[in-house]
Amino acid sequence: MSEHHITPLRTYLIIAASLLFLSGVTVWVSYIDLGSFNIVLAMFVATVKASLVAFFFMHLLWDDKKNLTMFLMSLMFFGIFVTITMLDTEFRGDLGLNPETKDPINKRAAFYDTLPLTDTHGHPVDEHSDEHHEDKDHH
Amino acid sequence: MSNKTKQNYLNHPKGIMSWLLTLDHKRIGLMYLFSGILFFFLGGLLALVMRFELAAPGNDIISNEVYNNVYTLHGAIMIFLFIIPAIPGALGNILLPLMVGAKDVAFPRLNLASFYIYSFGALFAMYTIINGGVDTGWTFYTPYSTQSSSNVVPMTLGIFIIGFSSILTGLNFIATIHKMRIPGLTWYKLPLFVWALYGTSLVQITATPVLAITMVLLMLERFLGIGIFDPALGGDPVLYQHFFWFYSHPAVYIMILPAFGIISEIIPVHSRKKIWGYKFIAYSTLSIAFIGFLVWGHHMFTSGQSVFSQIVFSFITYFVGIPTGVKIFSWILTMYKGQVSFTPPMFYALSFLFLFTIGGLTGIFLGAVALDIHLHDTYFVVAHFHYVMQGGTIVAFLGGLHHWWPKSFGVMYNQTIANIAALGVFIGFNGTFFPQFLLGLRGMPRRYATYDEQFVELHSYSTFWSGILGISIFIAVMNLFWSFIKKNKVDPGSNPWGGMTLEWTHTSSPPHPHNFEEEPVLQHGPYDYDKVIVDKTYKK
Repeated sequence: MSEHHITPLRTYLIIAASLLFLSGVTVWVSYIDLGSFNIVLAMFVATVKASLVAFFFMHLLWDDKKNLTMFLMSLMFFGIFVTITMLDTEFRGDLGLNPETKDPINKRAAFYDTLPLTDTHGHPVDEHSDEHHEDKDHH
Repeated sequence: MSNKTKQNYLNHPKGIMSWLLTLDHKRIGLMYLFSGILFFFLGGLLALVMRFELAAPGNDIISNEVYNNVYTLHGAIMIFLFIIPAIPGALGNILLPLMVGAKDVAFPRLNLASFYIYSFGALFAMYTIINGGVDTGWTFYTPYSTQSSSNVVPMTLGIFIIGFSSILTGLNFIATIHKMRIPGLTWYKLPLFVWALYGTSLVQITATPVLAITMVLLMLERFLGIGIFDPALGGDPVLYQHFFWFYSHPAVYIMILPAFGIISEIIPVHSRKKIWGYKFIAYSTLSIAFIGFLVWGHHMFTSGQSVFSQIVFSFITYFVGIPTGVKIFSWILTMYKGQVSFTPPMFYALSFLFLFTIGGLTGIFLGAVALDIHLHDTYFVVAHFHYVMQGGTIVAFLGGLHHWWPKSFGVMYNQTIANIAALGVFIGFNGTFFPQFLLGLRGMPRRYATYDEQFVELHSYSTFWSGILGISIFIAVMNLFWSFIKKNKVDPGSNPWGGMTLEWTHTSSPPHPHNFEEEPVLQHGPYDYDKVIVDKTYKK
């Protein structure tokens, strides 16, 4: 077993001051409207603070590297969970917003490319009125 | 000396308190084993009630409401009270310290505590049953689970508590594997069952807290009206599924990885051949454990999650097939040109290979988004899941029980009856669940108490064979217990299958209270059948 690490009081005081400072930063940024970036910034500051506590107050920096690995793994799994869940929440409903898939599927079938364009009542439509029809091939 | 050899963990010390307060990993393992088997029978009984209800359309035996309770309890009991705790808790506890040459696990008191935490959680589950059941399905999906008037709270509380037992067992095993190995027993000389337990433990300690968080969030919403999953309160119901499956998909690997470990022990021993691709099997265990964390969304293809994440989840899901395939081919190659003996454990291992391969491959079908949208929530999923969990895990568990039974209890069961029962399990299982693939393909939805006329034939086949399956499992387990009652003892020094791991070569059957009379000295690797001759010794 490695020897017990003795941390100088100065280090503790510096870390404690940093934590207080960062708490101030958290309060300060909460008054600035950064949109959805607010939460990212708040979480970032909180993560830095938690890491300072773990590394210095809990001696993780000088401890067996296996414990550090475990700590980093827990952050990694948390990151995986949040990131992949956000692939859902941030892109939910994208089916209707994508112009490629917004039109009815049968309109894009090759068969329709050979037909003259009509409106919903079957009357011929002027091609220039709709930019969507530029790629249609009419002979 | 003769007095010393007669002393074993079963008869020393004596008295009920010596069992209830034991710190011996083998006794704790046995307590897990018996409680696990008890819940297995309870869950099995519920399964048979369902099958007999489904023998014909309409409500013949139970009402729709009771049916909802029965399938929920069947799932919850089998998963949370039997499969997840049973193999690591029972076989893992009994074998891990023996396999690494230790006197006990790293934290024996924590080990006993984790058994009592499990029991305490099980009490809540029992209360749920007595108090009228729970009808949400074992997944407790919102929004229904936040509104249902059934016993969602006691059941989820029970699962929350059992989760802690799982975490503590995982922690204990990791510490034991890191710190308690005898000198010379390096990582690549560990039996593969130990690697499997290591992978399982990693998943237990990293995934289970998320289940606890999920259950707490569910209760916060129910009691305090905090909007987490309910859209009316600003929540997101699909988020519940993300939380739940972030635990429950890795939990599938908590259930199947120990089974892989058992098969990796049974096949080389009963083929008397060195395992093929030791490092591949060991690392495939760890890679399955890791990839298992990235694929949870394949349970949610019809939940309304974004198309982008569906593509990502579907793509990553295919990766699970690679390490799993590595294992299957390694086991098959281990048997190639080996001296395969058709003992009961080997029958179960062969059944496992067949059934798990079907279960795994149909999992790849379901991993494809386009196909899953049609098959989701049909009997195809029910069949796939049971091929993996029952055909895989429970068959391997039965194989492991038969393999280590003479070691754990110093008695030998009737091998002919055991073989017949194993055959009955194999045929009964396929008869029960193969028709369910067809039912699913034809559109029979899961969790329904009744069905259209067109499904009658396949449902009645399934019900008939489920009876055979139930009887076969009952015979298999009773055959084991009968050997104990009949005291069909094996010689304490016997090694009936010719195993090479420490539990076979260095300790008596049943083992000494302190595992080894002197610290074992490692003489060979766990599967060195090409270098050392180990005799099969089996004397009455």
